[in-house]
Amino acid sequence: MKMSSKLLLICLLVAALASLSEASIGGYICPYSSKKFLDIASKALKADTQDISSLYHAANSFKILNEAVPANLKPVACQTVKKLFNVETLEIDNLFYGVESFKLLGCDGKLSTEGVVKKVQDILQNEKSSVASLHYASKTQTFLGQQISNQAKLAQLVQAQLKTDDSLLSLGHALHLAASLGQSGKFITERIEDIVVQADEVDGKLLQWEGGLSTTSLIITGLLQFPASSPLNQPQADKLANYLLSRLTVQTPKGISALLEAAQALATSKVSPVSISVTGQNSVTLDNPNLKIQVSDIFGKPLKTALSPVVAQSATRIADDVVVLAKQPLNVGAKETEFVLPLKLEPGYYKILLNAGPHSTTLTARVLGPVQVKTFEIGLSDADQSSAPKLEKLTHPNKLNKKLQGDSGQNLLVKFTLSRQVHQAFLRLSSGKKEIIFVAGHESNSQYKVEADLGQELPISDSFNIELIIGDSIITNPFRWQVGEIEIKITNAPTVASLKTLRGPKPEIEHMFRKPEKRPAKAVSLLFTGLTAAPFLILLILWSRIGVNLSNFSMRAVPFHLGFGAILGLFTCFWLKLDMFVTCAWLIPVGGFTFFTGHRLLSHMARSKKPEKADK
Amino acid sequence: MKNPIILIFAFIVAAKAQGNTLVLLDNQVIKETHSIFFKSLQDRGYTLTFKIADDSSLVLSKYGEYLYENLIIFAPSVIEFGGNLNVDTITQFIDNGGNVLVAGSESTGDILRELASEVGFEVDEEGAFVIDHLNYDSSDEGQHTKLVVSSENLIDAPVIVGIKKNIAPILYQGTGILADSENPLVLPLLTADSTAYSYQPDQAIKEYPHAIGKDTVLIAGLQARNNARIVFSGSLSFFSDEYFTSPVEKVSGDLKSAKSGNEDVAVAISQWVFKEHGRLRVKAVQHHKAGENAPPHDYTIMDDVVYKIGIEIYDNGKWKPFSANDVQLEFVRIDPFVRTTLKSNANGVYEAKFKIPDVYGVYQFKVDYDRVGFTRLYSTTQVSVRPLQHTQYERFIDSAYPYYTSAFSMMLGLFVFSIVFLHMKDDEKKSKNE
Repeated sequence: MKMSSKLLLICLLVAALASLSEASIGGYICPYSSKKFLDIASKALKADTQDISSLYHAANSFKILNEAVPANLKPVACQTVKKLFNVETLEIDNLFYGVESFKLLGCDGKLSTEGVVKKVQDILQNEKSSVASLHYASKTQTFLGQQISNQAKLAQLVQAQLKTDDSLLSLGHALHLAASLGQSGKFITERIEDIVVQADEVDGKLLQWEGGLSTTSLIITGLLQFPASSPLNQPQADKLANYLLSRLTVQTPKGISALLEAAQALATSKVSPVSISVTGQNSVTLDNPNLKIQVSDIFGKPLKTALSPVVAQSATRIADDVVVLAKQPLNVGAKETEFVLPLKLEPGYYKILLNAGPHSTTLTARVLGPVQVKTFEIGLSDADQSSAPKLEKLTHPNKLNKKLQGDSGQNLLVKFTLSRQVHQAFLRLSSGKKEIIFVAGHESNSQYKVEADLGQELPISDSFNIELIIGDSIITNPFRWQVGEIEIKITNAPTVASLKTLRGPKPEIEHMFRKPEKRPAKAVSLLFTGLTAAPFLILLILWSRIGVNLSNFSMRAVPFHLGFGAILGLFTCFWLKLDMFVTCAWLIPVGGFTFFTGHRLLSHMARSKKPEKADK
Repeated sequence: MKNPIILIFAFIVAAKAQGNTLVLLDNQVIKETHSIFFKSLQDRGYTLTFKIADDSSLVLSKYGEYLYENLIIFAPSVIEFGGNLNVDTITQFIDNGGNVLVAGSESTGDILRELASEVGFEVDEEGAFVIDHLNYDSSDEGQHTKLVVSSENLIDAPVIVGIKKNIAPILYQGTGILADSENPLVLPLLTADSTAYSYQPDQAIKEYPHAIGKDTVLIAGLQARNNARIVFSGSLSFFSDEYFTSPVEKVSGDLKSAKSGNEDVAVAISQWVFKEHGRLRVKAVQHHKAGENAPPHDYTIMDDVVYKIGIEIYDNGKWKPFSANDVQLEFVRIDPFVRTTLKSNANGVYEAKFKIPDVYGVYQFKVDYDRVGFTRLYSTTQVSVRPLQHTQYERFIDSAYPYYTSAFSMMLGLFVFSIVFLHMKDDEKKSKNE
């Protein structure tokens, strides 16, 4: 893992860092990428796929990278090719991929190519065949060891097709086809300029044809088959190479194969881009001042004709534009492609103009150095400057031995001197998850000062950790230094910031029911019950004592008393369960009956008394 | 013969399931350098339409209907959108429930800045990188801008970013974002470490950096009140194939991994922003008196009531029961009278039993479930609560026995007395007569 991450590091640095100049590119297909390509290709060979083209692309990638297909993958892949290869169902491009991958994989046995020839012939004769299928058909035919019978006719066919469809893709196929037709393919040379013009430039650095990697690759490989008409000039080749390098993260076998094919075509052409780049870290330290530079082709291989001399024309410090070295030849390093430039310089950023033969490039390199805290003072001063601040001296990694005590009327004052100027000099006060960061003001001579008004800057009373953070891109030892602690008391401030809970569960609420009113004790109510019942009871007792003579009672009185009793009983029922309407409904007949009987009783009694009076 | 047709139809439906997405790019190369991210979207059923951001044919809506549900803007340096796209139409798109994923970079254009401020973020000035001299990757190019961010710095919400523990360190290179901490809708999805700051790397720090320490938000999210979701990343590289596949190794310290956590986080975030995750809905609400089954016409004060709510979550294209233990019910008459945590049953049904307060009026059963990362679930059911009927009060109170006895002794006395009075034979008179 360590290894691969290093490789990646190199790769990325190389790809991104070296600024581009017209005559060179800043990267190459590094071992890390190649390894990843092979991984993806191996996966494609292993996969149980329905797509014969992915097998071809995977096998092709292995071939271009000069790697043998792993022996354990070969039988599986061959099996898949044989299984999928079917003249009836496959289109011509897949047929081509089939026969081609069968050969690339070096499979044993023979692929049953019966019928292929006929299909190829049909396509080549057919006036409606697209340029792409013509291309694949002719390739398949050549591959099967047959000559293309009528080259001139084929050329005419292609030209006719191009009239209806002159998209970049068909033009790319036409280029390939024309290249294989020799003399008859001349017609395409007049289109070459037109094709090159159609390329899109991105940010002035990349050149591509619309349609992505596969189209671009098809056209590059096609164009470079016509070296006679020198289709691409050096800057164009460089930009195309840059485009290819920007696509190193491609994930599909098809993309990988296309990228590698195009890169190979560029590398073997006359306009092979020269890659000048820093290998490894683009930074050197004082202990290890050697900057390693690689001069190679796009595959990271030595150039066909070694470029010499490799000279650092100049090195300029970016900060103040001072030229620090000039015309220094580079020593040859461990490998043929590696050159070493010793940079024994002050820490900083340097721009290096490098020449390798006629090619030149500008690289940026860093020289790193350590930083030290020379002096450090911390203390509290009064905000109104009424008294001189008391500062305590401290040396780097020590800690304050006692807590500072501050309040809202004071400033926290920190002064320190570093051995060099840095980008980041922050003082951080933290407590739990809260943090407040102060930027140290740079005064002259790498002196820094922080003055923080505690009353204004800190809204809460709390105990804070004080930490100094020093960082810069050209120092080797960025650090965080726990300086000490400070206890801050702010008057009229809450000790804990009220945290609003905007989301999340809220506190539960239970309803407070009204309490029932207080009632007298049961004994009391029973006593009063007795008292209220007493008069009636006393009446009964007294009557029983005195004796009541009810001899005036006659059966005639019974209905009235029954009626009267019923009324009282009805009232009791009303109290217990009946409602007003039912009660009234009952009361009418019962009341009427009682009235009638009562009237009769009373009138009878009155009549029976009259004679008595008359007696008197 | 029918089967293939049904299959094709099913496939179209499945492919349509995640909705149309418009992807705006700076140039076509981005489509290739970010292919893993786009492929993961396509694999999940999104229909991506790639367009260059200043393409003059850009339209979001036609005849008042939106053509897309989601919008991805991977075009940091765009100056003006093409067609009828601009900040107004995009904010309108958001107001109508559209989701937006934006990636900026150190050279974020003004139009994206404007868009960011519309949704509550502030993007740092042009040219400013987030710099951290203590937490950078070993493949950094020298400015210490390729940060290694521990997964600890992700927001505490598994529904948005996945389970933190399982995520490898994350690579980030880009500008810093400031999020308004007072804005309750803004979520800082990924924040930088205390040692980070956002500034132009090649200029000395003269002003206080816009974003400093933990306040530096690297990826900010927002869920609007209409549940539209927006994610703004300060780094386009964060989503790139290169960062997805590359190993991570912090220069000083122990953060190291064979593969960065970018892919996991980016996929999780895209699932959140396009509402594959954290979508809740109410399935059914039931309420009735304890011991009954149907809701009554009205409740009487101090009834025991049972309230049930079924909640579902959208998961992989299906609605499934949602389980949580912090769903709360409020019983509200202007102010909540009762707030209780619902008990969760197995099938995503939550239940509460409580006694209705002794105050009558018009109440609402209210479930307002608003948690980080989830869509807001809000359900109210109005019920009326009336006072006791006269028959429903307590009868035969002890303290009232004196009244009862006095009344009844009166009635009884009257009855007896009436008999005695009417039929008594006067002894005295008798004696007189005698």
